[in-house]
Amino acid sequence: MAANYWASTQRRHWLFSREKLADVRERLRERDKAAHSQFPLPDSRLLNIYFNQQLIKLGKRMSTRQQAIATAQVYLKRYYIKNEVRQTNPYLVLTTAFYLACKMEECPQHIRFVVGEARGLWPEFITPDVAKLGECEFALISEMNSQLIVHHPYRTLSELQTELTLSSDEVALAWSVINDHYLTDLPLLYSPHVIAIMAIIIAVVFKPAHSGSFSSGSSQPSLSSSLREGGQNMLATLSDKLAAGAPPKIQKLINWLAESEVDIKGVIDCTQELISLYEVWEQYSEKHCKELIGRMVKSKNLDK
Amino acid sequence: MGAIDSRRSAGGGYTSKVRVRDRYHIVGFISSGTYGRVYKAVGKNGQKGEFAIKKFKPDKEGESIQYTGLSQSAIREMALCTELSHANVVKLEEIILEDKCIFMVFEYTEHDLLQIIHHHTQPQRHAIPAVMVRSILFQLLNGLLYLHTNWVLHRDLKPANILVTSSGAIRIGDLGLARLFYKPLNSLFSGDKVVVTIWYRAPELLLGSRHYTPAVDMWAVGCIFAELLSLRPIFKGEEAKMDSKKTVPFQRNQMMKIVEILGLPRKETWPGLVSMPEYSQLQSLVLHRQPSHFHRGSSLEGWFQSCMKNGGYSASSNTGTPGTDGFDLLSRMLEYDPTKRITAQEALEHPYFANGGPISANCFDGVEGKYPHRRVTQDDNDIRTGSLPGTKRSGLPDDSLMGRVSKRLKE
Repeated sequence: MAANYWASTQRRHWLFSREKLADVRERLRERDKAAHSQFPLPDSRLLNIYFNQQLIKLGKRMSTRQQAIATAQVYLKRYYIKNEVRQTNPYLVLTTAFYLACKMEECPQHIRFVVGEARGLWPEFITPDVAKLGECEFALISEMNSQLIVHHPYRTLSELQTELTLSSDEVALAWSVINDHYLTDLPLLYSPHVIAIMAIIIAVVFKPAHSGSFSSGSSQPSLSSSLREGGQNMLATLSDKLAAGAPPKIQKLINWLAESEVDIKGVIDCTQELISLYEVWEQYSEKHCKELIGRMVKSKNLDK
Repeated sequence: MGAIDSRRSAGGGYTSKVRVRDRYHIVGFISSGTYGRVYKAVGKNGQKGEFAIKKFKPDKEGESIQYTGLSQSAIREMALCTELSHANVVKLEEIILEDKCIFMVFEYTEHDLLQIIHHHTQPQRHAIPAVMVRSILFQLLNGLLYLHTNWVLHRDLKPANILVTSSGAIRIGDLGLARLFYKPLNSLFSGDKVVVTIWYRAPELLLGSRHYTPAVDMWAVGCIFAELLSLRPIFKGEEAKMDSKKTVPFQRNQMMKIVEILGLPRKETWPGLVSMPEYSQLQSLVLHRQPSHFHRGSSLEGWFQSCMKNGGYSASSNTGTPGTDGFDLLSRMLEYDPTKRITAQEALEHPYFANGGPISANCFDGVEGKYPHRRVTQDDNDIRTGSLPGTKRSGLPDDSLMGRVSKRLKE
């Protein structure tokens, strides 16, 4: 069903256990050991940060909505669990994911326009021939079995906003946490509801003292430290806050969690995943990613 | 380009893993549209049954076929059909992407409502039995309720798109214009300027409404209900074409056809009317015609009575009758104000269905006579033919932003 997550292809075909995911990736690696040792790439999360930044650059030039970027990121993940990144030109794949996601999220862009913009950003990697992108679109759709409808946590967030009386700052922070989760494997591991609740808890419980504007981009710099202090043991932090006489909002959130049948273990796992993302983030170097990918694409002639 | 034989190459090079001709034998050609063509096929190599294969044509650049990016409507139809599953929605078997073309393989349906209605006008008019109309409408609404509860608007309901299997099951088909309407990023209007074939287009669409709702599909169901009873489109207007500036014209003639039967919409009964973008056009319509023509109210009941009489619908005849419940349901579907128009859920609970005994899931149950099989021609059964003459799908341009974007690029 299109708008019902429980019956969706996302839940039935694109949700994995950690073991399954590791297994799938190990098999991809086994198939192409030589390329793996010849072309080392950064940690997948760092690579995702790089891809995401490129998508945002592409999206900015065409004033695209965040949801289309998020869908494009999910398409990339799905494609790269079936295809080894070292066999592809990631610039072409991410441009195609963007082009396809824009159509699916009802903010379509013409193929010539997308190719033109992508060439403006990565002239060495994108040819002016739109047929290349059109062909890659076939590959993407085929690998995803035409399962193109993606359910995002943003919807759950806006649905719970009133129920949990979240302030606009909290919603903005939760929103940016959701943006960040696309840099991890979480979209392949948990349902959008669990992700949304994780984001809300982080926003309400670990909200940094002086909250700035999070409406766009990531919450990494501001959240990283406060999460590291309290997030490692979220349950302990929560009960500390309770013992200290939790503010009514946190109390309300805790009660709501108790009554709902949310997968609390999953929520905790998601929080941990985000904490380790923010840790890894500190090693991120755009230049390094760019060089490694560039070398790989050029020496394997993947852009031809 | 020998795409079939070339090995899967790097950088997104694409070769299909499955080939249409390995899995299906093409029996003949069914129909064509702006999107491409539909073929009848039978399964091969252990694959049983009959199928309808919808082939989306790629754009041609010069002589050779190139990848030019799939149309948004193809993408929507592929994504929605893959996701949806309901007894009254057309069943997708698989999608094959091969040779720069998309092949959507559907279950084969022997009939559709357009063909059934046409059959009842040949050699002379004979009404569709009331029990059959009731079963068709119930199944149609059941499928539509499923679409609407899943936030899918069909946006192109018309007799030709309502498929009927040989065992009398109704399947809503052609989701090429369907889309999700849950909190759209852009107003629905901005994506597709024109939706729904003109005769089935709801008044709020004719008046330029930006944020339309599932009620547009219910209006179309009302029109289909009326057409099943009278064997003619109830509001058979002439479409005003888009001008050279691609502005959407006011569909004066179509609006007039509705007004002739339902009377003028009034702000007392449709408060949102005055804020419709084309409200002034509606007023000018009044000024330019004899006022007496408009100031009478709805004559839908009169239309219905003469339809009953002409069709020989009565409780004592073999044809049976939709009765006053049928009229009441019809009038609630053809309600001007979209916020008051009956929903699919409410319609299914209407006395028209609740009273009058069980409804068969086979619309042919208890109906004498056979309907002719779907016409399948032999003039083009090479599914791989490159060049395709498409008949234009009237009023439904492909909704890509091509016009606008290419203009922007030139600037």
